[in-house]
Amino acid sequence: MAATSLALKLTSISKSFSGVPALEDVTLEVAAGGVHGILGENGAGKTTLMNIIAGLMRPDSGRMEVMGVPVPLGSVRAGRAHGIGMVHQHFKLVENQSVLDNIVLAVGKYIFSRRPRKLLREIDYWCRELNWPLDLDVPVGSLAVGRQQRVEIIKALCGGGKILILDEPTAALTPAEVDELAAAVAGLASAGMTVLFISHKLVEAVRICRTISILRRGKLLYSGTVADLSVEQIAEKMVGAKVDVPRLTQTAGHTETPPMLELVDVDYRPAKRGPSVLTQINLTVRSHEILGIAGVDGNGQSALAALISGAVNPTAGRIVHRSSGPGKAPIRFGYIPEDRHKEALVLPLPIVSNLLLRSYHQRPFARWGFCRFGAWRKHSADLVRQYDIRCRRVEDAVATLSGGNQQKIVLARELSQQPELILAVNPTRGLDVGATAFVLRQLLEARERGAAIILIHGDLDELLSISDRVAVIHRGTLAITAWPDTTPSQIGRLMLGGAG
Amino acid sequence: MTPSHNMFTFLSRQAVTAATPMILAGVGELVGELSGVINIGIEGTMLMGCIAAYTVTGVSGHGTVGLLAAIAAGMVMAVIFAAASVWGRADQIVAGTAMDLLGMGLSGMVWMMYQNWRENLGFSTALLHGSGFSPVPIPVLHDIAYLGPVLFDQYALCYITICLCVMTWWVLHRTRLGLIICALGDAPEACHAAGVRVRLGRSLCLLFAGASSGAAGAYLSIMQTHAFATNMTGGQGFVVLALVIFGRWKLPGLIGGCLFFGLINSLQQTLQTARYTSQNTALHALTHVPFQFFQMLPYLAAIMALAIMSRKAPGPRYINVPWPEAKT
Repeated sequence: MAATSLALKLTSISKSFSGVPALEDVTLEVAAGGVHGILGENGAGKTTLMNIIAGLMRPDSGRMEVMGVPVPLGSVRAGRAHGIGMVHQHFKLVENQSVLDNIVLAVGKYIFSRRPRKLLREIDYWCRELNWPLDLDVPVGSLAVGRQQRVEIIKALCGGGKILILDEPTAALTPAEVDELAAAVAGLASAGMTVLFISHKLVEAVRICRTISILRRGKLLYSGTVADLSVEQIAEKMVGAKVDVPRLTQTAGHTETPPMLELVDVDYRPAKRGPSVLTQINLTVRSHEILGIAGVDGNGQSALAALISGAVNPTAGRIVHRSSGPGKAPIRFGYIPEDRHKEALVLPLPIVSNLLLRSYHQRPFARWGFCRFGAWRKHSADLVRQYDIRCRRVEDAVATLSGGNQQKIVLARELSQQPELILAVNPTRGLDVGATAFVLRQLLEARERGAAIILIHGDLDELLSISDRVAVIHRGTLAITAWPDTTPSQIGRLMLGGAG
Repeated sequence: MTPSHNMFTFLSRQAVTAATPMILAGVGELVGELSGVINIGIEGTMLMGCIAAYTVTGVSGHGTVGLLAAIAAGMVMAVIFAAASVWGRADQIVAGTAMDLLGMGLSGMVWMMYQNWRENLGFSTALLHGSGFSPVPIPVLHDIAYLGPVLFDQYALCYITICLCVMTWWVLHRTRLGLIICALGDAPEACHAAGVRVRLGRSLCLLFAGASSGAAGAYLSIMQTHAFATNMTGGQGFVVLALVIFGRWKLPGLIGGCLFFGLINSLQQTLQTARYTSQNTALHALTHVPFQFFQMLPYLAAIMALAIMSRKAPGPRYINVPWPEAKT
C-alpha cells in the first residue's frame, strides 16, 4: 500500500497517567476514505488515543502522520490544520451560545471576525450535504442531544476537516437517531472522508464500520477488516477471554414457599389530582427466583422501583414483606438503583466510604460511636478482591473509576450483606460486555443463595436469559406472562401494548 | 437657565466624575469574571494604582508617567493574583482577599516611606502645580446643553473610559474574542477542545482587569483629588464587585449601577454642604447629623438596590473553578 493512501499513521504511541499505562506502544494505520471502528471495553484507552490524535493530549512518546505529513502531537491547532476534527462523547459546547457562535468559536481563524463569510458558506455546504437543516441562531443548550451532536459534527467538518473522530457517538442516541447517524457517516465516507468510529457496542460497530481496530488495556490487538472476524471473535478480543452470557439453567418450581414481597392492588398517583402512574399492580416474588419486569422505558418502571424500595408510599393497595409481622426482624433489602451516579454512589467520596454507606455505623465497623477504620479497610480490601474492582487504592474517589467498576462497587455493597430481597433497575446500563456478564452472574449467585430478586430491565435479551418469571409493564399496568412457555417476540408485542 | 436645571446639571456632572473610576475598574472586573475568575482584590489593586500614580507623578512631575505607573502596578498585582489562582489553583476568594490585604498594607507603607524620603530631601509631598490632571473640556461638544458639561467637561481618563466601554462592548458582543472570553467562564472544556489555552486566556483577562483597576486608582489620586490618603478608595472596589452582580454581568447594567452610586454620592456631598449654606430651615436642621451618616448613604443605597434588584442572576458557570478541574 502506498504511503499516500494512508489517512493516518500512528507510530509507537505510549501514554501513562501517574505511572499507570493507558496506552502502550500503539501503532495504527488507517486508510483514507471509509469508516474505521475503534473497539474496546470501557477503559481500554480508546478515548485517550483519540484525544492524542486530536491534539488534546500529548503522549509520552510516539509519532503521527496525516496523509503522509508528520504532525506535531499535543496541539489541537496543528491537528485541525491537518483536517482532524473530533466529536467528543460529552459534547464540548457552550450551551448559552448560539449554534453559529459555537462553530465560530471553535473553527474561526481570526479573533475579531464573528461572522466570517467563508465559514458561513462552509456550514451551509455541510448542512446541505448531510441534509441536516440547522437553525444557526438558537442557543445550543435548547437543542436535543441528537441535534447537539449534529452541531458537533458540522463543527468538526468545517475548516477543511478530512478525518472525523466520533467518540461513542451512539451512546446518547435513540435507535432511530443511530440509523440516521449511520447513514450520514456512510455518506461522508463515500465522499472521501475518513471517519474514526469509537464504540464499545459490538453489533453497531460491525454494522457501520468496514475496518476495525481493537484495543484492550492500552494495547492494539487487531487491525483489519471486519469481515475477517466473526462477532464472537471480536468480542473475545475485546474482553480477553471468551465471554459467555450467563444463563439461568433451570427455573424455580417451588411456589409453595411464602412470598418474600407481595404487592396487592397497588395504585400510585404522584400528584394529588394528577393521573395515576401505576394502576392495580399485583405481584409476588419468592425466595430462589428472579422476577423480570420488562417494558419500554417510561411506562412506570421508576415509580414501581420507588414503591418497592420504600421511597414513596402507594396511593392505594398494600405492600407486604414476608416478615413485616409483629416481633420479627425486617428483611434485608439490597437495591441497585437505575442511576448509579445520583442514587447509589457519592462520587467525590473514596471507594471505601461508598462500600460502607449502609453499614458504617454497625459492628464491627463502629464501636461506641467511633469508626474503626482498620475494619473498614479490611472489609473494602476483601470486597475489592471478591468483586474484582479495578482501582489503584481504596482511598481514591469513586468518580475516578470507569462505569463498570462503579457498578461493581454498588453490587459489592448491596450484595455483600446477603440480602433476602433484591431490587435491580437496569443494572447493566452503560456497561461493556465483560462487566454486564459479571453483573448478571452476581444476580444469579444471589438467587442461588436464596434471595428473591426483582429485575426491572430495559434490555429484553438479558432479562430473559436470567429470569424465572417475566412480567411486562405497559402504561402503568403489569401483566405476568407465561414465560418460559412463551416466545420473546410475544413479550416484545406485550411491551408495545399489543396482545400476547 | 433655571437654578434647578443648574443644580441638576451639576449633580449629574459630579455623578459621572464619581462613577468614572468605578466603571473603569468594573469593566476589567466584568471581563475577568466572564472568563471565570472573580477577583475580589480590586480594592487592593486600586490602592496600589493610587499610590503608584501619586508617587511617580510627584517624582517625575508628569501625570502621564504616573498614570502609566499605576497601570503597571495594577498589572503586577494581576500577575501575582493570576499566578496564585489560575496557575496555582488557589481559591479565588481567598487569594483575592490576600490581594486586598496586600494592597492596603503595601500602599500605606509606600506612602510613609515616600513621605519620609521627600521630607528628608527637603521637598513637599504635595504634587507640583500642574503635574496632576485637570478636567479637559472638549471643544464644541461641551457646549451641548446638559450633555456638554456632564459628559464633555471631564478628566481625560473619563473619555478614555467611555471609549473603553464602547470597545469592550463591541469585543464582547461582536467578535470571536468575545465568544472565547465568555466561553472561558461558561464552558472552559469547549475552549480547550477548540485549542484555546484556558489558563493563558484567563490570565490575559486578569491582566486587562489589573490594568484598568490600576488606572482607576490613578484617577482617584492624581485627577479627582491631587492627594493620597491611606485607604483612600474607601471600599469602592468592593462596591464595584457588587455592581457587577447587580448589572447581571452585562456592561450597560454595570455602568447604570456605577452612575446610580455616583449620583447618590454627589447628592450626599451636596447635602452635606447645603445644610450649612441653605436658608431652608429643614435643611439647616441637618447640621446636627454627623457627616459620617451622609457618607454612609451611597453604600446603604447600593445594598438596598442590590437586595431589591438582584434576582437570581446566573453568572458565568465556572467562576472560582480552577482549570483543569481534575488535577492529573
